[in-house]
Amino acid sequence: MSTPSPVEPPRRDTALFRPRATTLFRVALLAVPLLLAATGYTVFAYFHSPYWNGVGVAPSQPVLFSHRHHAGELGIDCRYCHTTVERSAFAGMPTTQTCLTCHSQLFTDTPMLRPVVASAQTGQPLHWQRVTHLPDHVYFDHSIHLAKGVGCTTCHGPVGELALTAKQEPLTMRWCIDCHRDPGPRLRPAAEIFAARAVPPRNTPAQADVLLRAYDVHRSHLTNCTTCHH
Amino acid sequence: MPPPSEKFPPSLPSDAFWRSLETRASSPALRALLADEFPAGASVWPADMSRRRFLELMSASLALAGLAGCGRRPREEILPYVTPPPETDIQAAPAFYASTVETEGFGRGILVRSDLGRPTKIEGNPDHPESLGATDVLAQAAVLSLYDPDRSRAPRRRHQPATWPGFEAEWLGRHDRLLAQQGAGFALLTEPTTSPTLLAQIHRLLDRFPRARWYQHTALARHDLDGVQLDFDFASADVVFSIGADFLYQHPAALRYTRAFAQRRRVRRESDNASRLNRFYAVEATPTVTGTMADLRLPLAPAALPRVLDALARALDGDASAANSLAVPERDFVQLLAADLRRAAPRVACIAGPCEPLAIQRWAAALNARLGADGVTVRRLPALRSDSDPRCAGDLRTLAASIDHGDTTALVLAGVNPAYTAPRALDFPARLSHLDWSLHVGAGFDETAALCTWHLPESHFLEAWSDLRAFDGTASIVQPLIEPLYATRSAPEILRLLADPPGASAYDLVRETWQNATGADDFDARWSRWLIKGVIDAPANSAAPPTSGTTALRLPILAETAPPANAPAILFRPGPHVLDGRWANHPWLQELPQPLTELVWDNAALVSPAFARAHHLRTGDHLQLSAGGAALVVPVWILPGQADDCITLPLGYGRTRAGNVGRGHGFDAYALRSADGAWLRTDVALAPASGRTALVSTQEHFTLAGRDIVRVLPASALGSAHREPDPQTSLYPHEWPRDRHAWGMSIDLSTCTGCKACVIACQAENNIPVVGKDQVARGREMHWIRVDRYYSGDPANPRALHQPVPCMHCENAPCELVCPVGATVHSSEGLNEMVYNRCVGTRYCSNNCPYKVRRFNFFDRREPAGSPVYLQKNPTVTIRERGVMEKCTYCVQRINAGRIAADRENRPLRDGEVRTACQQVCPAEAIVFGDLADPASRVLRLHREPTSYALLAELNTRPRTRYLARVLNPPEPRA
Repeated sequence: MSTPSPVEPPRRDTALFRPRATTLFRVALLAVPLLLAATGYTVFAYFHSPYWNGVGVAPSQPVLFSHRHHAGELGIDCRYCHTTVERSAFAGMPTTQTCLTCHSQLFTDTPMLRPVVASAQTGQPLHWQRVTHLPDHVYFDHSIHLAKGVGCTTCHGPVGELALTAKQEPLTMRWCIDCHRDPGPRLRPAAEIFAARAVPPRNTPAQADVLLRAYDVHRSHLTNCTTCHH
Repeated sequence: MPPPSEKFPPSLPSDAFWRSLETRASSPALRALLADEFPAGASVWPADMSRRRFLELMSASLALAGLAGCGRRPREEILPYVTPPPETDIQAAPAFYASTVETEGFGRGILVRSDLGRPTKIEGNPDHPESLGATDVLAQAAVLSLYDPDRSRAPRRRHQPATWPGFEAEWLGRHDRLLAQQGAGFALLTEPTTSPTLLAQIHRLLDRFPRARWYQHTALARHDLDGVQLDFDFASADVVFSIGADFLYQHPAALRYTRAFAQRRRVRRESDNASRLNRFYAVEATPTVTGTMADLRLPLAPAALPRVLDALARALDGDASAANSLAVPERDFVQLLAADLRRAAPRVACIAGPCEPLAIQRWAAALNARLGADGVTVRRLPALRSDSDPRCAGDLRTLAASIDHGDTTALVLAGVNPAYTAPRALDFPARLSHLDWSLHVGAGFDETAALCTWHLPESHFLEAWSDLRAFDGTASIVQPLIEPLYATRSAPEILRLLADPPGASAYDLVRETWQNATGADDFDARWSRWLIKGVIDAPANSAAPPTSGTTALRLPILAETAPPANAPAILFRPGPHVLDGRWANHPWLQELPQPLTELVWDNAALVSPAFARAHHLRTGDHLQLSAGGAALVVPVWILPGQADDCITLPLGYGRTRAGNVGRGHGFDAYALRSADGAWLRTDVALAPASGRTALVSTQEHFTLAGRDIVRVLPASALGSAHREPDPQTSLYPHEWPRDRHAWGMSIDLSTCTGCKACVIACQAENNIPVVGKDQVARGREMHWIRVDRYYSGDPANPRALHQPVPCMHCENAPCELVCPVGATVHSSEGLNEMVYNRCVGTRYCSNNCPYKVRRFNFFDRREPAGSPVYLQKNPTVTIRERGVMEKCTYCVQRINAGRIAADRENRPLRDGEVRTACQQVCPAEAIVFGDLADPASRVLRLHREPTSYALLAELNTRPRTRYLARVLNPPEPRA
């Protein structure tokens, strides 16, 4: 018994899409969003990178001043030069006279000190390049951070180890907020706040609780927008 | 929502209050205006913006925005001092220095904030008896005038730039010639002043040149009467009667008076309110800020005033039929006032305005004497200002005559601008150009400077040492905070240079004055004490207070002195905020809505509704006034409460050389002033004039039309007082979440006089820009706190109420719910925060705000880079850019500063330690800010007062700003 074979459809010599196209399309379906995401992430990461934020960049200063020598090796207290750091928003920069307290006697004729001597003679201030720079709409206050147990090196890095002063942290808003959300682990006892070589602490929750109570830190308002922006 | 009957303070029908005659008449144009969030055209481009220009700007800004995003943050330099400054903490915190600000020649103590050496904000000096910690509008504005870009920066000779050495060289030759002639032909014109140092220099100049003459001129009023200054103690007056006096607003002692007056208007649960409340009667021709505080107010034209006062005198003598000949409102006023005065004597005070005729002022003084108030509520002080200094040769008219006779050929004009402020009838500019030589000393190159041989720029008071006396006699030092910004010198320095070349520094002159006055022993210690405290605790001249005048038992009859009643009278008044025109170039003051009219950037002839009806005038219509050969076309403003048959013309507008801000606003009312500078003119002819002026008033802006906003109750209703319960509509069972602090504010409508010092203090503190007349007309003014003015009652004599409205900081804030980008959020301490960097400018928040307190930056309002105005900006407040919303922050920068100071010392914040700018400036202490989480705080006590109410509480917004209802103490009508 023969059954009539069905009529075969005429074969086309050229297909609209070859089988490879399907594969390509599937890959593209996956790759294009991935590529877009990667581009987005790269841009995001770039602008949040230490590179973009100038971490580790030491601007050229009028005087080759070494924090490692002064604060680290000689052990001069931070507040000797940054006099208003405990009283005001601004840490204060040393006057030329402050430098001359020692340098009217020491190394007076070295080329390195020439700008300082010139400043004292002419009365023109030294033009220091700002290393730690926050945007103008951020109202940061040094005094309250010190009063509540945040040490210098937590934000400025191990200043006592730096021959040339460079920014050590990205100082992005996320970086600030990380600590404002949970300050406990970063606080340190009052005696260690001005330690110039200290590594920022990583307190256990128990240690953090003790410090939070000791400093009477109220966390709830720390993440209000107007705490830093007004 | 509770039914209205349960509301306390009682809620009145929504049509009981109205803001303008247009509301009352419910005009269709106004209803259209109110229907939208912003008035029609508010979002429309300015007229000079075409489609083509728009595309240009958009593409340019896109390109620039793209580029700007690519840059790293700009490098910044830090320049430390070479040697430490004497005040080592100058970079640590804003420092406050005591100084003195001038008001009509008198001084008021201030504290000036210095941020890194820049004066940025003026506050009152609590140790100064004429400030008591408060300031007025002009003192707040004074700091910006230091940075006025139009200030004169160098001397000029016949308009050409010159130098100080050039002037000194020329003067030396002239000085020697003058000395030989003993100063013949030489004259000096100044304003009357109380400054001992300035007067000493004037006297020295007269000693040096015995034949020289000294004249004084001011377009403003005198504050002395027959050689004495009357000073009032409103804290101990049970009945106050004002005859056209604006003593709570425009008076050298207004701050002290307001503080004392407010003491007698404040209603508190725990106090004996019935005996504490005073009763205030006011009769005035043109409505004043002070008059709005009256329990009973009577508008009265100058022609009718003497008749009413005579009737009052007879009624006080016991003549029961004295007032029968008067019309009904006048009769009631006289009878009630006479009864109250007799009941309360001698604890009464009658004060007549300095613009009233002398006969009226003397009558008021006699009334005080007659009722025994002298020595009880009225104090006689020696006249402190130099108006009647025996060495003064006369006023501007005498000087004009002297120029005409050729007796004066050389003239020094120090701190005066007679080419503008002299009545046109005197034709002073022509006389000025007749002089051989003239020298103008002033802050700006004004109308007078342009006509003088020499112009010398004068230092701002924050740049130069001087001294002043307050109205009560307290002397204080004017202490500068900054070296002169430009090549300027102060008036005492220049006068000393004229008398004794090469002169001396102002610092030496002030010290010389006080060393002469108080002796050299221990002077340096006293001097530094004076500077720290801001008050000189030693009398400079020991003039004994004059003894009381004769206690006249009969009051003078005034009827003969009455001006003719047949024609409408013209009243001249100092322009609100600009006075005689000296403040015309001040953008904050020009844009601050004027009292009662709420006009900005213009003046207008104020007329009563009945007058407007009779002459078929609408607001803005032109009217021609002519008198004594001069004619002036003025736009009219129909002002409820203005007396019929009189037109008020505010002075100080229409200036031609005020600077870029002040030039050409309004009309110059000096054109009609008679040569003697009188405040009243009756020989006026009216004529219709074509055209209209588009006057811009904010009275209808941000209106909460038809809602229950202001609450008023008579003192007699206080007995049944119970606080209206807050609606508690919440699905959460627990209390509203509270953090360590819960910030709140209370505003007392009983003591608020509507002076608007809070508005300008907020502007100075929070870097609020001005937008200009055209933009105000579109409803785009930026003030974070506004003072709404409501009327109730008959338009001929309505009661006016003032209501300051800042952000309510709702706990359930409607604005926060609609922001798509989270730019307005709630803080844990109850602040409704605005995050400028997140804002994309949808304006949904403003649309959803029931209180209309949000302001949008339609344009970039920042001054051009390099403008000196930037030096005034508060460094702790962000300057906002275009396209972002902003609003009252409860001065969060001050909260943060207070909290940091307290936390640093590990102590709790004290109540009253954080004060908002509006609270600090308020002379009536009507605004109280504080922590509702502190059970002992003042603001919590006030929020629990029975008269406390929240605006639109029925919306369940739970506002943190609450109001205390206005309590009136009207006299009981006779049975």
